[in-house]
Amino acid sequence: MTMSARLVLAGSRVLVVGAGGLGCPAALALARSGVGTVGIVDDDLVELPNLHRQILFGEEDVGRPKVEAAAAALIRVVPELRVEPHVARMLPHNAVALASRYDVVVEASDNFPTKFLAADAARLARKAIVHGAAVRWHGTALAVGPNGGPCYRCLFEDLPRENAPNCAEAGVVGPVVGVVAAVQADLAISILRGEPVFGVLFTFDGLSLEARRRSIQGRAACALCGTPRSIQRIEASRYAVTRCDI
Amino acid sequence: MDTIVRIPAPLRSLTGGADEVVASGATVGEIVADLEVKHPGLRDRLLDAKGVRRFINIYVGEEDVRFTGGLETALKAGDQITIVPAIAGG
Repeated sequence: MTMSARLVLAGSRVLVVGAGGLGCPAALALARSGVGTVGIVDDDLVELPNLHRQILFGEEDVGRPKVEAAAAALIRVVPELRVEPHVARMLPHNAVALASRYDVVVEASDNFPTKFLAADAARLARKAIVHGAAVRWHGTALAVGPNGGPCYRCLFEDLPRENAPNCAEAGVVGPVVGVVAAVQADLAISILRGEPVFGVLFTFDGLSLEARRRSIQGRAACALCGTPRSIQRIEASRYAVTRCDI
Repeated sequence: MDTIVRIPAPLRSLTGGADEVVASGATVGEIVADLEVKHPGLRDRLLDAKGVRRFINIYVGEEDVRFTGGLETALKAGDQITIVPAIAGG
């Protein structure tokens, strides 16, 4: 990496939403890559079953707030990093304000309401966002530009209200989230460097080890980036938890 | 016409664990109907009363069928169908 690219990263601010299986390795990759400031938002405590995939934590962290343990782990390996821990959930009342404070949002949450909320908040704050998700052996990543589509809602429209494919399939394979998180960090760094990475859906299958890139298109009727755009502000009712929330 | 359909991990419980299955039909809708015969329950995971469920994407090759005619999208020899669902986990 050139000196100018390093300086760009050192002056950059990235918000990681979720300090779980995706957020931990994504934050670590961002920190080690030279991103100057990493914010992490999560209100959970570290639990023993997290440890196989949440690589910033050890058994000694069980019971600690995740963002506190994550910040300590990141500073241990990258002492010059500025970490901004937010012991909170990304919720309708704080989402846009959080996104506004950063250059790129890395959405590493584990539930649909937060994914759609982060997508909407980033768009309203005019920030780029990198979505990631993994269930068992299947993972996806998608980068969306600060000016919108093709966006998460172009792909998936709205929260599943019924029978989402993941409902009966809880469980995450550690190496799969590691792959997806690495791609998310890669995409975030690419965005910070001005690379054209938008409009591509990355999928990874941990059983066949097949990784694919697929171009996606914006939907004219998309509520977030279509015309007219129906989502002009965050309304809490849009993100009501469904029974598919895992 | 037989077409290979790539099944994502979250739906493989309905295909006996297979990541690829073969289905017959001249359109995407016919393929889904044949999938339902061979793998009962799959149709309901892909479609609702309005068509393709909003959190499911079905691609023929690299094209999202939303932009190519939906379930009426015609298939040609060698096409491959891929299903990409919205997932939430991490």
